[in-house]
Amino acid sequence: MATLPRTRPRNRRLVWRNTVAGWSFILPNFIGFAVLTLLPVAVLFYVAFTSWNVFGVAEWTGTANFQRMWGDASFWTALRNTVYYTAFHIPLTLAAALGLALLLNRKLRGVRFFRTVAFFPYVTSIVAIAIVWNQLFSPEYGPINALLRAVGVDDPPGWTTSSTWSMPAVIIVGTWRYMGYYMLLFLAGLQTIPAQLYEAAQTDGASAWQRFVHVTIPGLRHTTFFVTVLLTIESFKVFDLILLMTGGGPGQSTLVLSQYIYQKGFEENQFGYASAVSIVLFAICFGITVIQFMVNKRGNS
Amino acid sequence: MKRAIPAVISAAAALTLVLAGCGGGDEPVDPNAPVTITLAGWSLASTPEFKTLADGFKATHPNVTVELKEYAPGNDYDTQMITDLAAGTAPDVYVMKNLRNFYTYQSGGQLLDVSDVTSGLGSVPALASYQVDGKAYAVPYRQDSWVLFYNKDLFAKAKVTPPDGSWTWDDYTDATKRLHTGLKGVGSKATGAYQHTFQSTVQGFALAQTPGADLLSGDFGYLKPYYERSLDLQAAGAQPTFGTAKTNKLTYQAQFGKQQAALLPMGTWYVATLLNQQKSGDADKFPWGIAPAPQFDKSTTGTSATPVTFGDPTGLGINPKISKSKTAAAKAFLQYAAGPDAGKALAGIGITPAQVTDAVTATLFGLDGVPQDELSKFAYTKHTIKPENPVSKHTAGLQNLLNETHSTILSNSKGVDAALAEAQTRAKNEVLNQ
Amino acid sequence: MTATDLSMPPPAVAAPGDPGKPTRRGGFRGWRLLGYAALVLAAVGLLLPFYWMVVASLKTNNDVFTIPITWLPDPVVWRNYLDIWQRSDMTTWLRNTLLLSVVVTFLQVLTGSFAAYGFARVRFPGRNMLFLAYVGTIAVPWQSYMIPQFILMSKLQLSNTLWSIVALQAFGAFGVFLMKQFYETVPEELSESARVDGLSEFGIYRRIMLPLSRPALASLALLTFVTTWNDYLGPLIYLRSPELRTVQLGLNTFISQYNAEYALIMTGSVLSVLPVAVIFLLGQRHFIEGIATTGLKG
Repeated sequence: MATLPRTRPRNRRLVWRNTVAGWSFILPNFIGFAVLTLLPVAVLFYVAFTSWNVFGVAEWTGTANFQRMWGDASFWTALRNTVYYTAFHIPLTLAAALGLALLLNRKLRGVRFFRTVAFFPYVTSIVAIAIVWNQLFSPEYGPINALLRAVGVDDPPGWTTSSTWSMPAVIIVGTWRYMGYYMLLFLAGLQTIPAQLYEAAQTDGASAWQRFVHVTIPGLRHTTFFVTVLLTIESFKVFDLILLMTGGGPGQSTLVLSQYIYQKGFEENQFGYASAVSIVLFAICFGITVIQFMVNKRGNS
Repeated sequence: MKRAIPAVISAAAALTLVLAGCGGGDEPVDPNAPVTITLAGWSLASTPEFKTLADGFKATHPNVTVELKEYAPGNDYDTQMITDLAAGTAPDVYVMKNLRNFYTYQSGGQLLDVSDVTSGLGSVPALASYQVDGKAYAVPYRQDSWVLFYNKDLFAKAKVTPPDGSWTWDDYTDATKRLHTGLKGVGSKATGAYQHTFQSTVQGFALAQTPGADLLSGDFGYLKPYYERSLDLQAAGAQPTFGTAKTNKLTYQAQFGKQQAALLPMGTWYVATLLNQQKSGDADKFPWGIAPAPQFDKSTTGTSATPVTFGDPTGLGINPKISKSKTAAAKAFLQYAAGPDAGKALAGIGITPAQVTDAVTATLFGLDGVPQDELSKFAYTKHTIKPENPVSKHTAGLQNLLNETHSTILSNSKGVDAALAEAQTRAKNEVLNQ
Repeated sequence: MTATDLSMPPPAVAAPGDPGKPTRRGGFRGWRLLGYAALVLAAVGLLLPFYWMVVASLKTNNDVFTIPITWLPDPVVWRNYLDIWQRSDMTTWLRNTLLLSVVVTFLQVLTGSFAAYGFARVRFPGRNMLFLAYVGTIAVPWQSYMIPQFILMSKLQLSNTLWSIVALQAFGAFGVFLMKQFYETVPEELSESARVDGLSEFGIYRRIMLPLSRPALASLALLTFVTTWNDYLGPLIYLRSPELRTVQLGLNTFISQYNAEYALIMTGSVLSVLPVAVIFLLGQRHFIEGIATTGLKG
């Protein structure tokens, strides 16, 4: 944050003027945001310390929910699975999205069509996606295992029906679904890189790779930061895709924190406990985001 | 320290806006004044039972209009209902799909005491499930139970003797395997049985039939023989594996209705679906029948004994936020819905009401396409139905946990013993200690 | 071959690859052909679920799920595409969805880009903390605070109105964050010189920032539109009346307790994807042909 010297009255007036200007820009969005998001989130923080069952009375239980979580093996399983998913989903999606954006930012016949196609997985109904991928992964009758058998894999994986392979399967589909979304953001980011920079680099005799490293990557820094933060948060919060594909199974092999929160809250009616788990999920995401902000800031200066 | 969450929020809301005070006083209650009560239902276009109940009630209570409020189907119904009840925007009368949800609403104080309704109902078997501390909080209007559907043509093709009511689960396993071999022999691609992916298809029977089995004890050893038979059948190829059923999203309606499987353990609600699908052409037309669910041992088999099966009643309850002037009408509606007249009306659309009387059986078996053999009638009318979800604080948690165990075992991720041992440890450490 | 063509201004319409001209590099055409083959293969992989949706919409209900998958409908059932209009309120659903998507997108882009300017370019105490609060709320899973939010909206008399969805989606932190990141790529000197010329902060936003951030605005608009269009949980929680249903919610009515009309659900899904695909196909030049061609100097 900017440290603002407040020794001289002229400066103080400037600060005041900037504050008014800043808030007048932020206010229209902030009013809606504060009432509809910030306020319920504040209630959530309160609920996390109670035994609320959604109907009526919430009894203050202090840190009981968090103590329970400490000894709850399912919570730790869900956390481990979430980290597993995130650790693979972020780099894979980032690489795929950037690759697609670079490829489809070029002059190619039919490039508009291909861009649309790349965005399709995000547009297509998630229910259909879960169904089709499950059928493709079907251990006995699916095309993927048929292919694997054809190339000589005798014992192909059980994918969504195997507790070892269900997570890799979900990661593949997650990456497949979201790469078009982030590709779009990268495409928009690429447009902000001035063409002159490339021309200058070309005149200096820079190779394609050098131009990529010295022009494209720095030029995309703001976009990459945004995409990384968003991708991190969304991976930690992954919910509907896994719910529809595996329902968290087999066993608890793909149970993630968001689903655990839903299970405890809506199915077992322990909203206090569910809120406490949400707070932990939030704290993890937020902690990582703050670190990302700090790293980004150092990169900026 | 006790504080109501809605109060916290309304205080906050009051800061942001000034609300006009609302909420009416108590009006005088005139039993013949026109009243409208609201009733929650789902998929109204394809689920005629709510309209049947509303119309039937209107016939005897012309001053009361039952207005249907459409909710989302499946689990989303409860998500919406919980949200509406929490915010005080729920309808006057609402449905509890099973006993697990009944506990949620009852323990949350979202059901009115309707003991005076149930005292006038006589001996409806499922009433007991809705009693807590001597008071009744809901009435049942449907009571499905699990039976065995079978395809008579496929049995004939495979030259296997169809069920006669004497089957234990070992007989069932044996017959399924013989069907598999027989059908394969005549070049049919149908499997012996189809066991749907629900945890109920194994655990429901095991809990209801095994002597001494108790979900809430946290001892799940009673599940072992039931799982071993399922694993045996899927290993033999006599039924589609759990993995195939899951990944290919197989539906039991297509597996049985399109003659892909000769046997199907399923609830009696499937009667109405199958009739409709055979009429619309979604399902093939073939002779089928209903047999009692296979039994734990010989002591409950045969048409002179009473077979044991399971099924949760579907109940109706009243929202305690209902205005006083409507309470009497809502209670009268509950009384009607659980009674014999509604039972006959429901049977007319293929639904099994809470009380299966002779009139109900006659109506249901009078429907076009329902099998007429004696065993089907026996299976439909005579049985002991145990609840799938005993009403308790721990039921939801235990059932969620056992659902995970179900997929662990049937996907062969772990052996039966290891998976059950893990389930017992988790039950002790995560659910029963709460 | 990744970045070779980046320096060229992207064409408004995909130009032909000039196959007749001799190329400087050997094997260029070969690479290009290979590239196309890879693209076509990737496209097949990306479109497969959509293709399955189309096939499922041409089947009867009990033929939708089979072992193994049938990739061609037999017989082809065109009736679903008639039935869905006759048997349901598809028109109402589409109208509601369109209305919501347009209003939400408009508000999100407007308030988001406005607030983002305040965060990106005006320095005032507490700014960074406030921005962290914005981003922080993205990290809270919605299903954990949706009930308090619903109670609040009910108190505000908003639940079971289309306004509830507008209120829910229009003020999200996403747009603020996205736009802020893009404003920061615009060189500070541009606004400084404008300030010297006597332009107010609002003038700088209006005259300089908005035109320069067209690609970002376009992607924000598109992403907001698609998210609102496909949203299921939001409408599920907030909307009850049949006349308020969105497409995603409406398709639900084909599921009854013991059966589901999968063929009709897939028909509806196909119909709901098409408008978005067309918008994307036609609208993409707005974010592909952005400021790179306006000659912004860094």
